[in-house]
Amino acid sequence: MKRLLQLAPLALAIAASSASAQSTEDTLARMQQQLDSMQQQVNTAKNDRVRFNGFFSTGVATSSNDAGFDGKTEKTSVADLSLFALQGTFDVSDNTQAVFQLVGRGAEDWDPVVEWAYLSYRPMNNLQLRAGKMRLPLFMYSDSLEVGYSQLWARPPQSVYGPIAIKSYVGADATYTMNLDNSAVTSQLFTGFTDETGTAGPSELRNVFGTTLSWTDYVWTARAIAGTAEVYIPSLAIADARALFLGLGFGYDDGTWQIISEVTRAEIDGIFADTDSAYLSVGRRFGSVTPYAVVGWVESMDNDDRTGALSAALDTRRDEYSIGARWDITPGVAIKGDVTHVTGFENAAGGLDASYVIPAGKNSTNVYTLKIDSAF
Amino acid sequence: MKKLSLMFAASLLVSPLALADVVVIGHSAGPNSITENQVRDLYLNRSNELPDGQKATTFEMASGDAVRAQFHDKITGRNDAQLKAFWSKQVFTGRGQPPAEVSNAAAMKARVSSTPGSIGYIDEADVDSSVKVILTP
Repeated sequence: MKRLLQLAPLALAIAASSASAQSTEDTLARMQQQLDSMQQQVNTAKNDRVRFNGFFSTGVATSSNDAGFDGKTEKTSVADLSLFALQGTFDVSDNTQAVFQLVGRGAEDWDPVVEWAYLSYRPMNNLQLRAGKMRLPLFMYSDSLEVGYSQLWARPPQSVYGPIAIKSYVGADATYTMNLDNSAVTSQLFTGFTDETGTAGPSELRNVFGTTLSWTDYVWTARAIAGTAEVYIPSLAIADARALFLGLGFGYDDGTWQIISEVTRAEIDGIFADTDSAYLSVGRRFGSVTPYAVVGWVESMDNDDRTGALSAALDTRRDEYSIGARWDITPGVAIKGDVTHVTGFENAAGGLDASYVIPAGKNSTNVYTLKIDSAF
Repeated sequence: MKKLSLMFAASLLVSPLALADVVVIGHSAGPNSITENQVRDLYLNRSNELPDGQKATTFEMASGDAVRAQFHDKITGRNDAQLKAFWSKQVFTGRGQPPAEVSNAAAMKARVSSTPGSIGYIDEADVDSSVKVILTP
């Protein structure tokens, strides 16, 4: 009896609902509509004011010896290729944004490092002014240097991307884009300074000034950069050395073929090596798989300025040959495999670890890489 | 069984509608027409202005949607994986954010009709008076 009494309200409810099924349906539909519009408002607020994006990489790399190409040795280390980054974009107003990017690297015990922290202001559609900490725009892929997912390769060609250890600066830039009929010209001016502790101890760039000019019709791309700075590297007794950087880049991407080439020259007063470098990369998309081949070269142009141990350590000559493939398993995730053969050191260290290469008399190294890149 | 065959017949009737053409829609106060190249430039972050000079806001269907695939096949020539790679590069170089995504035609119409300067795309069969068609690619 007690049970029946308990069930009575339920039975009543069922009876009532079937009697007014029509109006319940209407109510449900109305509520559904309200829910939809509320959800949209929440999404609008979320999408328009703050956005979070991230990227992640992990992988293994090993080398045939301890020459240290891209820091890789015979000891396979998963942490070396692992990184996790979080980027936040906050709309301060219609034309002002605050952007930060935190990167934690496995090789640095995942300590988060601020790679970007800048304020962006667009006084008009085609002009962007930024101030804060940003990537030094020396190369075509400087801005997305560590975003493996946005690149074809397992790693950017080290011949060009390797010699300059400084990746970010604090300062300001102005970027003006002129949209032409089906193409665009972009010019950028930047200035600032850096203060980083790299592999050779603390190093500083002061009074950085530079300009980039690029053109694209969205298939072909051409880019030029010129920059100058004063260099301070206390561990090498370099102070107020004038540095000059020049670069030309070229790209072609028709959706099937992807061809990229960059040529750079870095000059610095004093004993530090002045290097010329270049690479040519060709990739061909077959559905979700894109095999690629890269040839790279770097050479110091001021060997006459050095003698003895300095020559062995700083004279640089090296050829790089890479073959690899990118496999897009699903939107947002790619797997890459790469074999790079590095040779042509010519009695010096090839810009690698001189304390190993010279005593061991090595003239080549192979690096094998398997990597997963993701963006979200 | 009869029910099944009826459903089959119905689905045959419906399928030509499901394959109707994608159309580009705009906010009622926006321009009355737009070219394919202008739409492509807006959806590939090459431009952020409508032909009448208004600041443009673009909306996308979610990844994997059939109308989205048809739109990009006709307008940008890129598949979902290529779009994902393209936008990750834009985002992580600080150049911009991908369009906000909506889950169905009703949501697309609601967002476009309530956002001045916005454009989107839906199946021709879903067009109603809340939005206007500005291009049939």
